Amino acid sequence: MSTSNDAISTLERTWGRPRTILGWLSAVNHKAIGLRYIVTGLVFFMLAGIAALLMRIQLAFPENTFLNAQAYNQLFTMHGVAMMFLFAVPIMEGVAIYLLPLKLGTRDMVFPRLNAFGYWVYLFSGITLFTSLFFGTAPDGGWFNYAPLSESRYSPGLNIDIWATAVSMLEVAALVAAVEIIATTFIARAPGMTINRIPLFVWAIVIVAFMIVFAMPPLIVASLFLEMDRKIATHFFNAAQGGDPILWQHLFWFFGHPEVYIMFLPGLGIVSAIIPTFSRRPIIGYIPLALSFVIIGFLSFGVWVHHMFATGRAPLGMSLFSVASFVIAIPSGIQIFAALATFWYGRLWFRVPLLFVFGFIFIFVMGGITGVMIASIPFDLQVHDTYFIVAHFHYVIIGGVLFPLLGGIYYWFPKVTGRMLGDVIGQASFWLTFIGFNLTFFPMHILGFMGMPRRVYTYLPGLGWEGLNLFQTVAAFVLAIGLLLYFLNLVRSLIGGSRASDNPWGSGELEWLTSSPPANYNFAVVPTVRDLYPLWYEQTVLPEDDQAMSPDERFGLDPGRRETIGTSVLDAVPQQRMIQPSISLIPIVAAAVLWLTFVGLVFDVIITLIGIPLLAIVFLIWNIPSSRGWDPEYVSGGPPGSLPTNMVAGSMGIRTPAWWGMAFLILIVMVVFASLATSYFYLRSHVIDWPIGAIDPPDVVIPLVGSLVLWVGAVPVWFAVRSARKGNTAGLGLAFLAALLLSAGHIGFKVFELAGLDFNWATNAYGSIFWLINVAHFANVLVAIAMLLVAAYYAFRGYFTRERLDGANAVAMYAYATLIIWIPLFLTLYLTPYVWGSSQT
Amino acid sequence: MRRAQRNLWGRTGGHVGLLAILAATAVLVASCSDSPASRNPPSSLDFQGEGSSIIGQEWWVQFALGSTVFLVVLGLLGFIVFRQLRRPVDLSVDMQEDPRWLNWIWIGGIAVPLVIISVVFAFSVRSMVALGESDEPEVLTVQVVGHRWWWEVIYPEQDFRTANEIRVPVGERVRVEVTSEDVIHSFWVPQVHGKIDMIPGQTLSTVLEANAPGSYRGICAEFCGLQHARMHFMLVAMPPDRFDQWLERERQQASEPQDDLAQRGQDVFLNSTCVYCHQIRGTAASGGVGPDLTHVASRLTLAAGTLENNPGNMAGWIVDPQRIKPGALMPPAELTGEDLQALLAYLRSLE
Repeated sequence: MSTSNDAISTLERTWGRPRTILGWLSAVNHKAIGLRYIVTGLVFFMLAGIAALLMRIQLAFPENTFLNAQAYNQLFTMHGVAMMFLFAVPIMEGVAIYLLPLKLGTRDMVFPRLNAFGYWVYLFSGITLFTSLFFGTAPDGGWFNYAPLSESRYSPGLNIDIWATAVSMLEVAALVAAVEIIATTFIARAPGMTINRIPLFVWAIVIVAFMIVFAMPPLIVASLFLEMDRKIATHFFNAAQGGDPILWQHLFWFFGHPEVYIMFLPGLGIVSAIIPTFSRRPIIGYIPLALSFVIIGFLSFGVWVHHMFATGRAPLGMSLFSVASFVIAIPSGIQIFAALATFWYGRLWFRVPLLFVFGFIFIFVMGGITGVMIASIPFDLQVHDTYFIVAHFHYVIIGGVLFPLLGGIYYWFPKVTGRMLGDVIGQASFWLTFIGFNLTFFPMHILGFMGMPRRVYTYLPGLGWEGLNLFQTVAAFVLAIGLLLYFLNLVRSLIGGSRASDNPWGSGELEWLTSSPPANYNFAVVPTVRDLYPLWYEQTVLPEDDQAMSPDERFGLDPGRRETIGTSVLDAVPQQRMIQPSISLIPIVAAAVLWLTFVGLVFDVIITLIGIPLLAIVFLIWNIPSSRGWDPEYVSGGPPGSLPTNMVAGSMGIRTPAWWGMAFLILIVMVVFASLATSYFYLRSHVIDWPIGAIDPPDVVIPLVGSLVLWVGAVPVWFAVRSARKGNTAGLGLAFLAALLLSAGHIGFKVFELAGLDFNWATNAYGSIFWLINVAHFANVLVAIAMLLVAAYYAFRGYFTRERLDGANAVAMYAYATLIIWIPLFLTLYLTPYVWGSSQT
Repeated sequence: MRRAQRNLWGRTGGHVGLLAILAATAVLVASCSDSPASRNPPSSLDFQGEGSSIIGQEWWVQFALGSTVFLVVLGLLGFIVFRQLRRPVDLSVDMQEDPRWLNWIWIGGIAVPLVIISVVFAFSVRSMVALGESDEPEVLTVQVVGHRWWWEVIYPEQDFRTANEIRVPVGERVRVEVTSEDVIHSFWVPQVHGKIDMIPGQTLSTVLEANAPGSYRGICAEFCGLQHARMHFMLVAMPPDRFDQWLERERQQASEPQDDLAQRGQDVFLNSTCVYCHQIRGTAASGGVGPDLTHVASRLTLAAGTLENNPGNMAGWIVDPQRIKPGALMPPAELTGEDLQALLAYLRSLE
C-alpha cells in the first residue's frame, strides 16, 4: 500500500472545506452538491404531494367547496410543475451528481463550480415558485401552460410570468448539470474504464444529459415567445395577427415528451444498478440495455405529436408519431426482460431495494401497456385529457421514477450516511406505498372511461363519478402514509441507524470501494478498472493491491491541490491532469444575480436591465485566472513523467475540459437558434402571405454587406489561433481586436438596418419572429465581442503562451460559432421570402 | 456481509404481501361495481354513436391483449420469485455468462412486443379507416364556437344561433365544425365520438352520428381556465320528424309576450345591461357576447350544462351567476323582486 497517512491528510485538507457558514455556501464538492439536490428535491416532493392531497380532498365529493377554482388551478399546476421540474428531474440529477465520480472512480466532476451554480439556480427558482403560491400568484395555466390561455388577454396576473421565468431558470440549471454530466463521463473516468465498462446507470444518465441539451432550449425559446407576447405585444401565438397557438404546443411537447424519458431513464439506470447486486450476478444483456437507452433517447424526440392527436393535424403525419409511440414498447420490453432474465439466472436476495424493483416492474409494465393503447390515434381521441391519461402517466412516472428512486435511496443510503435503513419499517413503507398507489390510481382508468376530464376543480353529482373519487381520496392517504413511513425511516436511521460497512450489499461497482460515507477526496488512490463490476472481478487493480506505484504517483497527481486524472473518451487512457477550482462563493453570487435578472421580468424590466450587466461582470470575475495561474511552474510543473495539466494539454492536441465546456455551450446556442429558425418556418407555413400584411420582403443588400463584414471576421480569428500556437501573444491580441472590430461593424449595420424598417415586433407575427431572430443574433454577437475583448486583454498582458492557449482557443471557437450560426439565419430571414414568398405573386 | 445475510423478506413476508394485493384488488373491484347507479354517466364505453362504437371495438381488443401481456409478465416475475423464495440465501457472486441467455431479450423484449404492437397498430388503422369512411353524405352542418365557458351553436343553413345544446337527427351523419373565440377548448361527447380541439383562428371538423335517441352530455376536455369544470353541453339526438319540428321552431323569432307580466319582463330585459351581451331575435336585444336567448326556455340546462333549466335555477343564475360559476363573465343582475319575477316570466315564455 503506497498511500501514506501523510498523503491522506493532505488529500483531506485539499478536498475539504472550512466548517463555517461561508464554507457551506461556497462548497463545490460533488457529494455536497448532489446531496443538496436530493434533500431539496425530497422537500419539494413533499410539498407537491401535499398539493395533491389537497386536490384529492377537494375531489372527494361533488360540488365540494374545500378549495375554490383559483386555488385548485394553482395547486394542480404547481403539483405538475413541482413534481417534474423541482422533483423528478433535479433529484435524479442530484443522484447522478453524487454518484457519478464515485462510479467513474474520480474525485469530482469536471466543472465543480458550475455544478454548485446549477444547484443554487434550482433552489432559488423552486423557492420562487412555492413562495408565489402563498401570495396567490402561483402559475395557474397547467404545467403545459397552453397559449392562448397563458397570454395576457386571458391570464393578466403575474402567475404565468412566474411560470415562464421559474421554468426557464430550472432549464438553465438542468442544462448546466447536463453539460457537467456529459463532460465528466467523457473525460474523467478512471484509467481502464473503457466504453464497454461504463456502468448502465452512467449510460442512462449520459443519454438523459444529451436529451436535456436538445429538449430544453426549445422550451426556453417558447417561454421567451410567451413573455414577449405578454410584455411587448408580439404575436407569436395570436392567430389574429398571423401567429399560431399550436406553435406553443409543438415547442412545448418537443420538450415535454423527451422530458418524460428524461425523468424515467435515470430510474431505469438505478434499477440496473440494484438488480445485479440482489441477483448476485452481472446483469444479462449489458449491450442491448445500453442500446435501448440510446434508442429511447432518439425515439423520445419523435413522439411529441401524440399529445396533440385531438388538434386535427394531417392524418399521415400524425400516424408517423403514432407508430413511433408504439415502437417505444420495444426498448422498454428489453429493459423488463433483461431484468427477468437476470432474476432467472441469478440468486435472488430478497431485500427492500429489490422489493422496490419488483414494484417498479408491476407499475411500469402497466403504465407501458396503457401507453401502447393511447399511441393509437382513435383510442386516444376518447381518453385524451381524461383521468385515463392521469392514471397512465402516474403509472409510468411513479413506476419509472419514484419506485426506482425509493429503492435507490434505500440501496445507497448506507454509502451516503454510513448507516443502514430499518428493514421492517422499510418493508412496511413499501407495501403501503405500493398498495396505496394502485388503489389511488388504478380507478382513474375507469373514471376516464366514465367521461371525467382532467383539471376540473369540481364535478356535478349524478354523473356516476362520486364513488370512485371518494375511494381514491381515501387511498391517496394510504399512499401518503406509506411515503411518510419511508421518510421516518430515513430520519430514524440518520439518528440511530446501525453502522454500515463500506460495502454492506456486497455490490460490484466502484462506489462501494470508498468508505461509508465517502471521504471528501472519494478515493485515496485512483483505481484502475478492468471490468464492468470491478469489485467482483478478481484481477481488478485496487489500491489494496501491492503496486510499486499507485496511479496517483505514476501520473503525478499532486495531493496538495485538487487534481484529477483526465482520460480519453473511448478507451479511458490517462491523458491529462485536470486542475480543479477550489471552494468559491462565485456560484451562489452568480445564481443570485441570474435570479434577479429573471425575476425582473415578472416585476419590473428595469431590474432585468440592471441584472444583465451585473451578470456579465459576475461571469467575468468567475473567469479571471487565479494569481497562481500566471506561474509557469504551477501550470506545467510536476514530477518527471507526470501527465500534462489541462491548462497546457490543449496545445498537445488533447481535448481539455474548457474545450468540452465550450463545445456544449455552442451546441446549446445552436439548438436555441435552430428552434427560432424552425418557428420562423412554422409560422410561415401557416399563413398565405409572407411577409404578412403590407410588409415587403426584406431588402437584401445592406444585410448582405453587414453579414460579409461579420463573416470576414473568420480570417482574423484564424490568425489568432495561428499566432497563439506560435506563442505570438501580441499577434493574438491584435487578431482578436480585429475580429472584435468587424463584429462591431456588423452590429452597426444591423442597427442601421433595423432602424430603417417600417414595421416592428408588434406589427404582426412576421415582425415578431423577424425582430426576435435578429435581436437574438445581435445578443449572441455581443457575447462574442465581450469574450474577444477579455481574451485580447489577457493576450496583451502575456497570459497566453505557446503551451497555455486553452482560453484563447475557446474564445476562437465561440467566435467561429457565431459566424457560422448566422449563415443559415441570414438565408432564412433574407432569402427564403423570395424563394418561398407570398403565394399571391 | 455475514451480518446482513438473514433474508428479511422471507416466506411469511411474501405471502402477507400477496394477500394484501389480493385484498386490495377485491376492494377495488367491489368499489367499481358498487359505484352509485348513475343517472347518465357520460361513458365512452356506453356506445351511443358510430364513432364511439368503432373506437370501443378497438378498446376491447387492446384490453384483451394488454391484460394478457400484463398477466404473463407479472406471472413470469411471480414464478421466478416464488421458485427462489425457499432457496437458502447464497451471497456468492456468479460471474457466468452465456450468449444464449440473451434469447430472453430477443424473444420477450423484441419479438413478442413487435408482434403485439403490430396487431394493436393494425386495429388502430382499422378504426382510423372506419372513422374516415363517408359512404353517406352529411345531412346537416352545425358550427360550434367555444367561449369561456359556454358553447355557441350555429346552424348556418337554417341561419340561427343557440347555445349549450346541439340537437341532431338520430342515425344521420352530422358535420360539426368547431373553433374558438378565445382560448383552446375541446369538443367531446364521450357516448358518441372522440374529441376534437377548438382552436382560435382554425376551424376543425368531425362527423357525429348518434345511433339512438337521447340526450348525451358533452364536455370540454381541454383546460380553459377558471370554469373549465363547468363547461358542459347536451347533445340531443331526436327522431328525424321531431328534429325537423324543433328546427322549424328554433328558426322562428322569439314569441311576443303573451301577458302583462311577461311584457314587463321584456321591458326589464330591454332596459337593462342584459342586451349588451345577449340576443333575443325579434327584439332590439342583439348582443353577441353571451348566449342567444331566443328560445332559452326550451333548453335542457342552464350555465353550460351545470343546472337543470327550471325557474328557480334560472332566477338563481340571473341574480348571482358568480355564486354558481365563480369567474364566469356574466355579472350579477341588480333587480327588484318584482322585476325579477317579470323577467323570469318573460324568459320562461321564450320556448
